[in-house]
Amino acid sequence: MNKLGFTEEQRDCLQEIINVAMGLASDKLARFLNTFVHLQVPSIALVGAMHIPAEFENRYQDAEAALISQGFFGNEGVRGEAIVLYKMENAHKISALLGYEPDDVSEIEMLTDISSILTTTFLNGLAAQIENSLSYSAPRILSSRHGNVADVLKNTSFHWEHALKVDISYQLVDHSFNCDMILLIPGEAVTNIKNILDRILEAF
Amino acid sequence: MPHAMLSSPILAALNSGVIVIDDEYNIRYVNSFIERHGNMQLAEVQGSSLFSVFVDLPEAWLKRKLMSVLELKTPAFSSWEQRQYIFKLPHLRPITSSSQFMAQNCSMLPLDAPSGEQPLICILIEDATDAFVYQQHLSRTLIELEKANRQDGLTKIQNRRYWEEQLKQEIHRAQRYKHSLSLILFDLDKFKDLNDKYGHLGGDFVLVELASFISSLLRDSDLFGRYGGEEFGIILPDTGLEGAEEVAERICRAVADYPMLFNQQTIRTTLSIGVATFVPQQHFLHDDLIRCADMALYNAKRSGRNRVCCYQSGETEYHKKAN
Repeated sequence: MNKLGFTEEQRDCLQEIINVAMGLASDKLARFLNTFVHLQVPSIALVGAMHIPAEFENRYQDAEAALISQGFFGNEGVRGEAIVLYKMENAHKISALLGYEPDDVSEIEMLTDISSILTTTFLNGLAAQIENSLSYSAPRILSSRHGNVADVLKNTSFHWEHALKVDISYQLVDHSFNCDMILLIPGEAVTNIKNILDRILEAF
Repeated sequence: MPHAMLSSPILAALNSGVIVIDDEYNIRYVNSFIERHGNMQLAEVQGSSLFSVFVDLPEAWLKRKLMSVLELKTPAFSSWEQRQYIFKLPHLRPITSSSQFMAQNCSMLPLDAPSGEQPLICILIEDATDAFVYQQHLSRTLIELEKANRQDGLTKIQNRRYWEEQLKQEIHRAQRYKHSLSLILFDLDKFKDLNDKYGHLGGDFVLVELASFISSLLRDSDLFGRYGGEEFGIILPDTGLEGAEEVAERICRAVADYPMLFNQQTIRTTLSIGVATFVPQQHFLHDDLIRCADMALYNAKRSGRNRVCCYQSGETEYHKKAN
């Protein structure tokens, strides 16, 4: 974290903002899904984008995994791309919760819907705290086949210097569901976020 | 000029559809794009239910999306790649596109409503027909390309590269599931004489004609490929030596009795056929099976042509020439 120029205070502040955003998101999701959502404190790490593929290679190696990407952009140069990764077995669980009939929609549509909801509820909560508001691109599926998660990430993270990795673990009462979310943030946007964090820290 | 005054002309000029509805799915606003494409007037549809104005909407599906927009205050999306269109509207390329309706990317966005007022949703509809058409072309081209990549240019059966790939896979499958698997290799007898007599066009004609005739004798699961000039191979999954020999005999007789008419001349030809069956054992490669079938094929040639020879396990020597 420090290597990439975040001070201890900035890091704590970001963790706090993300915690609250997760809280807001899980509250909204719980209401929407009509089930209780337990939530663990998300762990965050700012890493060089080139390390990302290796991070996920093992976890998704043997499973059928899906990667969905969604761009976000807000004021003051806050922008990036959120990638949600999950194992397909998990996706089927949450799709049942969202009220999808098996033949109702294509698998891809189901996947993009789930990730869009996860990503935008979380990022809206984050934006609200930094007095920003975000627009989103439509979610796009990067891959839903097994084996090549690392390859897809390698191609994706090529253009990005830093990645803010947020591990999210959603536990729904009757279902266990977890996924990973990676926020890929380009270099200058990291600087912009640091400025915003400093402003928030000053206000305290 | 106050900015608010710009909204109206811009909305009218926008080449995307804008529909605003409230939380009871009643239409509050449609822009000119929707008026024109949907053949309706704002004044007529204002206050009507979205689902009564656009009767073809996938209601349950759309309501679920709109519900998430209202409850989570987050946008929802629909892409033409998953659902070609939501609103059945004509598009601007009725002539050059194969699709009848506008392919759409739709975004459903929560609008900030003053407290106490009904929440609103803005539905943005972008025409993605061009992308849809390109995608269709691309898919078609890819399918053709893939086919071309597997096909032998002359005979239109599998080419050697693809056929050998299939053989590797079938051996793998037979090894794993303990299935039987046999291979037929055959060669046209005295093809060189045929070429000399009827010219290369005649030779090619025979290859094409025979490939199509033999294809008609095979089961759907058999894999038929051109191995070399006048040499062909047939992979027979789930078939033991006996079954394969039967198939080979049938082909041998049928081809010998099959006259082909080329430039008012009847051409007849015969085949020499080698049959080998897969023996489940470690390190058995597709090359090994080909070598066995090839040995049987040469034995068929040496013992007089127009016949079937089967590879006997352990055999390493060619038969002595018959004449």
